[in-house]
Amino acid sequence: MTTVEQPETTREHEERPAHEERLSESDLRRLTRPVRMPGIGGTVAIVTVVVAVLWSMNGADVDGERFVSGVPRMWDFLSRLWPPDFGRLDTIIRLLIETLQMAIIGTLVGALLSLLLSFAAASNISPRWLYSSSRMVLNILRSIPELILALMFVSAVGLGPFAGIMAIILGSMGSIAKVYAEAMESVDAGPLHALESTGASSRQVIYYGILPQAAPLLTSYTLLLFEGNVRGATILGLVGAGGIGMELTTAMRLYDYGHLSAIIISIVVLVTIIDRLSAVVRRRIT
Amino acid sequence: MTSAISGPIAGPSHDTRPRFAAVCGRNLRVDYSGTLALDGVDFDVGAGEVVALLGHSGSGKSTLMKALTQMAPATADELSIGDTPVLAQHGRDLRALRSRVGNVFQHFNLVPNLSALTNVLTGGLYDAGPLNRLGVFNSAQRRRALELLDWVGLQDRAGQQTRTLSGGQQQRVAIARALMQDPELILADEPVASLDPRLAGSVLRLLQRIASERHIPVIVSLHVVDLASTYADRVIGLHSGRVVYDGAAAALGPDEVIQIYGDGGEFGDDGRAA
Repeated sequence: MTTVEQPETTREHEERPAHEERLSESDLRRLTRPVRMPGIGGTVAIVTVVVAVLWSMNGADVDGERFVSGVPRMWDFLSRLWPPDFGRLDTIIRLLIETLQMAIIGTLVGALLSLLLSFAAASNISPRWLYSSSRMVLNILRSIPELILALMFVSAVGLGPFAGIMAIILGSMGSIAKVYAEAMESVDAGPLHALESTGASSRQVIYYGILPQAAPLLTSYTLLLFEGNVRGATILGLVGAGGIGMELTTAMRLYDYGHLSAIIISIVVLVTIIDRLSAVVRRRIT
Repeated sequence: MTSAISGPIAGPSHDTRPRFAAVCGRNLRVDYSGTLALDGVDFDVGAGEVVALLGHSGSGKSTLMKALTQMAPATADELSIGDTPVLAQHGRDLRALRSRVGNVFQHFNLVPNLSALTNVLTGGLYDAGPLNRLGVFNSAQRRRALELLDWVGLQDRAGQQTRTLSGGQQQRVAIARALMQDPELILADEPVASLDPRLAGSVLRLLQRIASERHIPVIVSLHVVDLASTYADRVIGLHSGRVVYDGAAAALGPDEVIQIYGDGGEFGDDGRAA
């Protein structure tokens, strides 16, 4: 039997690692690119989004030319807001405090009721039938705008902040109960399994396993809700449901631009303070 | 029935729940919707014995442990812990059975933002009074939890959130939680898989000590054959849901290891399948 010396290149080919034989140079380049060209699914998604945007622009009468021609009028409106007139600052402060109070009560009661509802809406806590029905209730609540709720309560309990508080409570439930439920669903299941394996009851598993794990998120979401409710409470007055919104609408109707400007600046200051404080607390707990 | 178990960390003696002496399984099967995870497993574990379960991932080790507290859908000719037939327990009786079985997990499964002390106390939830729903345990329970933390060398960490503890410390808190149950069986599912070798040894020594001091069976699943040989009295080897080896840990040699794991090279059967 004779041995034939193989050419150098063939030996090199034999010594190449297996993965290099399976993946070509172009495959390797493609796989190691941070951004890849979209495949069929990605292309379909992009086309769908583009079509949806064009369809919406057409339906909603979005017109670039009209926007450009409207800029001088917007500038005219903004220039009338200067200088702000803080002559009725006491009224503004009184109404801002009322707005804040509405947000505080609405958030606390709304958060408490949302927490109760979220137990029913969390798939790792409640049975299927309860989960489905409570999710449906939450979807209905979420689909009703807070201003509509405020209108409903104004006609039920009359003008004033109480109607606004009721609207905030229901609006809070619609927006936050589902988020609470999802925070509870996202907790690590390991500790729950461990508690269950010690013979703990379902209620004990919720109390010692789910709530402590979800607490930082629940608190953070409640603070975000509060921030949103402070902003929301400022416009409920548009329909007579208390807060500074009514004063704002009146100033606009009377072309009292100085006062309007002072109200807007005061709202911005209040909302900024609340947002900053809330952000500090959220940073500390998460 | 009086307690057959005593030791320096045994709990109060007013408990009237049934005590277990050992564990027995005959023709144990677990079927996960058509996938047979355990296929006619027979095994016994004596009191005070440390039994290591060895086998590939998916061989049925964890499933066997879960079946012992009805955490997996099991059927068997016999499955008992002491005098208690496991599969006949339902509702509160099942919770009572679970409260007698201490579990130790690979990823510790502690509630991360509760203190070490509260985590240990949760081991006694079955026996806790109505006030515990408000987070109030009685002073005897708190004292006992502190003693257990002391026993695992962590009394000075009692108030610390467990997420701030090291892996080894967390596993010791988890062992203290299991002991809070005053268990008559300990199931440790890969308790050292997330720990470095030094901590692994200390945790397994702790489990050994529990078995001998409290004279209770400890079933521990492991992935390292040397650890099983060093710390277990007996080894049960599982392959594809069947027992392929059941013998003294000291007698575990290369042939037995091949019997359990196969000789599929670096990646075992998984590698071959791929």
